[in-house]
Amino acid sequence: MARSDCFRGSTSRRDFLKLSVAGAAGATVGADWRLRKASAKPAQITFLRESSYVKEFDDYFKNVLIPRYQQDTGIKLVYEIVAAGGSAVPRLVSIVESKAPVDAGWVQQEWLYREALLDVSDIAEEVGKQQGGWYPEIKSLSVWGGKWKSVPFGNIGQTMVYRRDWFDAAGIHTFPDTWEEFLEAGTKLKKAGHPYGMSMGHGFADNNSWLLPLLWGFGGQVVAKDGKTITLDSAETARAVDYVRKLYKDACIDDCVGWLDPANNKAFLTSQISCTNNAMSILISAKRDLPDMGKVIDHALNPKGPKGRFHSLVPVTHGIFNHTPDPEAAKHFLRWLMDPKQVAAWYRSAFMYHAPFLHAYDRDPEWDKEPRFKPDQRVLETGKLVSWPAPADRKAGEVVNKWIVIDMFAKACTGVPTKAAIADAATGLKQIYG
Amino acid sequence: MVGELTWPRRLLGLWVPLAALFVFALFPFAWMAATSLKANAELYDPAANPMWIRHPSLVHYIDLFKETNFVVWIGNTMLVALVSTLISLLLGVMLAYPLARMRFPAAGLLAISVAVAYLVPQTLLFVPMADLINRMKLGDSLSAVMLTYPTLLVPFCAWLLIGYFKTVPRELEEAALIDGASRWRAMTRVILPLCTPGFLSAGIFAFTLAQNEFLYALLFLNTSTIRTVPVGVTGELIRGDAFYWGQLMAAALLGSLPVVLIYSFFVKYYVAGLTAGSVKG
Amino acid sequence: MSTNPVLEAARPAARAVPVRRAFQLREWLEREAVFSWLMLTPPLLFLLAFLGYPFCYGVYLSFVRRPVAQPATFVGLGNFVNLWSDSIFWQAVWNTFRFTGAATVLKLVGGLGMALVMHQNFRMKGVTRALLLLPFIVPTVLSTVAWQWILDPGMGMFNRILMYVGLVTQGPSWLGNPTLALVSVILVNTWRGLPFFGITILAGLQTIPTELMETATIDGAGSWQRFRYVTLPLLMPVIFIVTTFSIIFTFFDFQLVYVLTGGGPANATHLMATYAYSISMGGGQMGLGSAAALAMVPMLGLVLVAMSSYVRKA
Repeated sequence: MARSDCFRGSTSRRDFLKLSVAGAAGATVGADWRLRKASAKPAQITFLRESSYVKEFDDYFKNVLIPRYQQDTGIKLVYEIVAAGGSAVPRLVSIVESKAPVDAGWVQQEWLYREALLDVSDIAEEVGKQQGGWYPEIKSLSVWGGKWKSVPFGNIGQTMVYRRDWFDAAGIHTFPDTWEEFLEAGTKLKKAGHPYGMSMGHGFADNNSWLLPLLWGFGGQVVAKDGKTITLDSAETARAVDYVRKLYKDACIDDCVGWLDPANNKAFLTSQISCTNNAMSILISAKRDLPDMGKVIDHALNPKGPKGRFHSLVPVTHGIFNHTPDPEAAKHFLRWLMDPKQVAAWYRSAFMYHAPFLHAYDRDPEWDKEPRFKPDQRVLETGKLVSWPAPADRKAGEVVNKWIVIDMFAKACTGVPTKAAIADAATGLKQIYG
Repeated sequence: MVGELTWPRRLLGLWVPLAALFVFALFPFAWMAATSLKANAELYDPAANPMWIRHPSLVHYIDLFKETNFVVWIGNTMLVALVSTLISLLLGVMLAYPLARMRFPAAGLLAISVAVAYLVPQTLLFVPMADLINRMKLGDSLSAVMLTYPTLLVPFCAWLLIGYFKTVPRELEEAALIDGASRWRAMTRVILPLCTPGFLSAGIFAFTLAQNEFLYALLFLNTSTIRTVPVGVTGELIRGDAFYWGQLMAAALLGSLPVVLIYSFFVKYYVAGLTAGSVKG
Repeated sequence: MSTNPVLEAARPAARAVPVRRAFQLREWLEREAVFSWLMLTPPLLFLLAFLGYPFCYGVYLSFVRRPVAQPATFVGLGNFVNLWSDSIFWQAVWNTFRFTGAATVLKLVGGLGMALVMHQNFRMKGVTRALLLLPFIVPTVLSTVAWQWILDPGMGMFNRILMYVGLVTQGPSWLGNPTLALVSVILVNTWRGLPFFGITILAGLQTIPTELMETATIDGAGSWQRFRYVTLPLLMPVIFIVTTFSIIFTFFDFQLVYVLTGGGPANATHLMATYAYSISMGGGQMGLGSAAALAMVPMLGLVLVAMSSYVRKA
C-alpha cells in the first residue's frame, strides 16, 4: 500500500508539471474554437447538474466558469441545477425521452440511458492521459461496449463520520478497524447514551455506502461478475445479516432503519448519534453552524470484514446527450471544462468534495487544508460501484432503486428471520434478472 | 344556529374543540415560524425548546432574498397559477354548462369521460407530456406549465361547476328564452352571474393546486428565474443531504402568505360555492 | 319570476334581435345539441390533445417492454403478469388501500367535527377559517420537510411532549417502526387534508334551512337526533363529493410519502404511486411502470363505484 502511494505521489508531481503546460495549451483552445465555428455557432450550451452538496461549488461555476466560457468562445453557457435525491433522475429521463434542449450534464444513473449518450472516448482518453490516468473502477461505469459514454468527474466520498470526543470518553481512541470492533465500540457508546445512526431506509447514498461494503467485507455478493448469476443467498450473506441485526439492536438508534439521506445529518448535528456513514456534508455544516462540534468530528474509512475493506462509490460523471444539435460544440465544452485550467480550480472550490478519479489529484495540496477529509479521497482505493462485482447495467440499477438489498437488512432489523429476509431479496432479484 | 347556548355548553361545544383544532392544524406552522427565525446553531441545540426562540434572527429571510431568486419565484407562481386558473375556468364552464343544463345525445357518455379524466395518475402522464411540450417548443417557459396545469384542473373545475349550474332552476333560463333571449345571452346574462360564488370557489381551489404543483414544474421549468416556488426552493435549498432548514421554512411561510390573504378575503364565497350545488341539486 | 332583476336586464336586449336573415342561422344555433357541441368542442379538443394523447400513450406503454432510451417490444399482458407475481407490488396495493381508507375516514370524521365547530357564531370567523386552511395551502414538499423534524425521535415535538408528560423515557421511533411509519404518513396526510373536508362540509351545513332545525326542535328532537335525522341526511351529497375528491387525491398521493419515508422502512409505506415511480424512474422500465400506474385506475374506479352505489342505497 505504502509503496503504491509513493509511486502515485511521484507520478502526480510529474502530472502537475503537465497540468501547467496543459493550462497554457487550454488558452489556445478558445482561439481554435473561434476559428472553427465562425459560421455556425450555437447560441448556447445547456449543462445540467444536481445542486451541489456544497454551495460554493455551484457558485464557482456560475461566477467564474460561465463568464470565462463566454469570453473564451462567445457562447452562452446555461447552468441548470435540480434538487438532489430524486429530482435529477426524472428530469434526465424526460430529457432523454423527449429530446429536450439540454446538451450535457451530470448523467446520474447513466445505466438507464447509455444508448442516448454520445461517445466521448476521445475526451476521456485525452483527459486521462493528461492528468495522471483514471482510477480503474470508474471505467466499469463510464465505459460501455468499449466506448466511453461519460467522462468521470469525481466521487462523493462516503466515510464513517464520528464524534471523537464521545469515542474517547468511551475509551476508544482509534476508530474501529474491523466490523467486530465497530460493534463492540457501538455497544459501549449506546450504553453511554450515544448510539450510532446507520441509515437503512429508502434513501440514495447513506444506506448503500455502508451496507454494501459490509456485505462485501463479509464475503457476500449480490450478483456474480457475469451479471446473470444471483449469488446473494449464501452463508456469508447470512452472517452479514445477523451482524447488522445485532448492530442495530445493540449499537444503533431505533429510528435509523427508516432514514433517508438528510436524517442522519439532522441526528448527528442535534447530538443524537455518535457515528454514521455520510459524505462531507456533516462536517461542513458543523464547521459553519456549530464550531464546537466541528472540532470533535472526524472521518474514518469503513471497517474491514473477513474478506477485506470496501467502500461504495457515489460517482459523478458528465455525459453529452446525442440529440444535441451541435455535438462538436458540446464536446468542445466538456473538453474545455475538464481542462486543468478550469477543472482543478473547480474541484478545489469546494474542499475537493468531488474526489477526482484522476491520479493527478491524489496528492493535491488542497487535501492538506483539512486533513480530516483525506479518508474521503482514500475511498477511491477500495471503492466499488454499487453493482460490484456485476457490471453497472440497468438491472443492477433496478436492484438499487428497488432497495432490494437494503430492505433485506432493514427487514432483519424489524424482526424478520435471516432466512426469510434473504429469501425475499432473492425473489426480488429473480424478478429483475429473470 | 338554533338559540343561544349557555356559556359552559359554549365552552365545551365551541372553544375547547376550536382550540384543539387550532393546535392540530397550526402547530407545525408554529414550529416552521420558530425555525425560520433562529440561527442553525439554536435549531441543532438538543437542549433548546423547538417551539421557543432564544435569539431571534432574520438571517434566513435575508439570505432567502439575497441569495435566491425567491421574489421572482413568487411572481412566477402567482402568474402561472392565475393564468392556468383562468384557462381552466373558461374551459370548465364550456364543458360544464352543456353537461349540466342541456339535453343532447352522448351527454351521459361525456360526463363519464370527464370523470374518468380525473382518475388518470400523473405518474402515467408525465413522460408523454414532456414529449408533447418539447414538440411544441415550449420547454423551459412558463407557458409550458400554464398549458399543462389545466389538464389537471379542467376536469376538476368542470365537475364542480356542473353541480353548481344544476342548482339554478331551469325555469329561469326558459323564461329568458321565451322572452327572446338567445341561449348565449341566457347563459352569459342570466345563469353565469348567478353562479359567481361557484367560479370563485372553483377558481380558488384550482389556484391552490396550481401553485402547489411539483412534477410538471420540475420537468418543464429549468432556468432558475422561470421556476415556481416549490421547484425553485427545493432546487436551491436542498443540497444533497444538506438542507437549509431555516430558509426552507421561511420560504414555505412567505410562499403561502399571499394565498392566505386571498383565502381570507374570499372565504365566504368559497364556502358558499363549493357545495351549495350538490346540496340543492 | 318576471320580477327577477337579472331577467329584466336581459329582456330589452333580447327584443332587439329580430333580424330576418340571421334568423335561420340563429335558429340552428339555438338547437340544444348544436349549442352544446359548439361549447364542448374547444375544451374537448384541448383535453384530447393534452390529456388524451399522453393517456393513450401511457396505456400503450403498459403493453410493451420499453426501457428508457430503447425501442419498445410488445409483450401483451406481460407487464401485468409480472406485477401479479411481484410481492412488493401487492404490499404497495395493500398499503395504498390502508393509507387511503384510514386517512379518508379520519379526515371525514375530523372534518365533520371541524365544520360543526366552525358553524357556530363567534368573532373573527373569516380569519379563523382562512387560518385553518393553512395546512392545505403550503406546498407539500415544504410542509413535509417540517414534519421530518416534528417526527424526529429526540428533537421532535411529539416525543418531547411525551417525555415531558412522563409517559415515556424515550419516545417511539415514528418513521423507523414499520407500523408507526404508516401511521405517521396517514397522520400527515390527514393533517393536510382535514381543512378541505372541514370547509366543504361547513358550506353544506350553511345551506341547511334553519326552519328545518327549528321544526325538529319543536317536535322534541335532541341535539343528537337533530344531527342524525336532519343534518346528516342533508349533508350526504356534500360528503359524497368531498370524499370522492379526497379518495382520488389520497390514492395518488406521492410527494408526501416520497419526501417523508421514500416508501421505507422495508416497503412499509410504499404506495402504488411511489412504487410505479420507482419502477419507471429508478429501474428505467417505462412499460412496467406504466402498467403499475394504470393498475391504479380500475382499482380506484371500483372503490368509487362501490361508494356511489352505497350512497344511493342510503
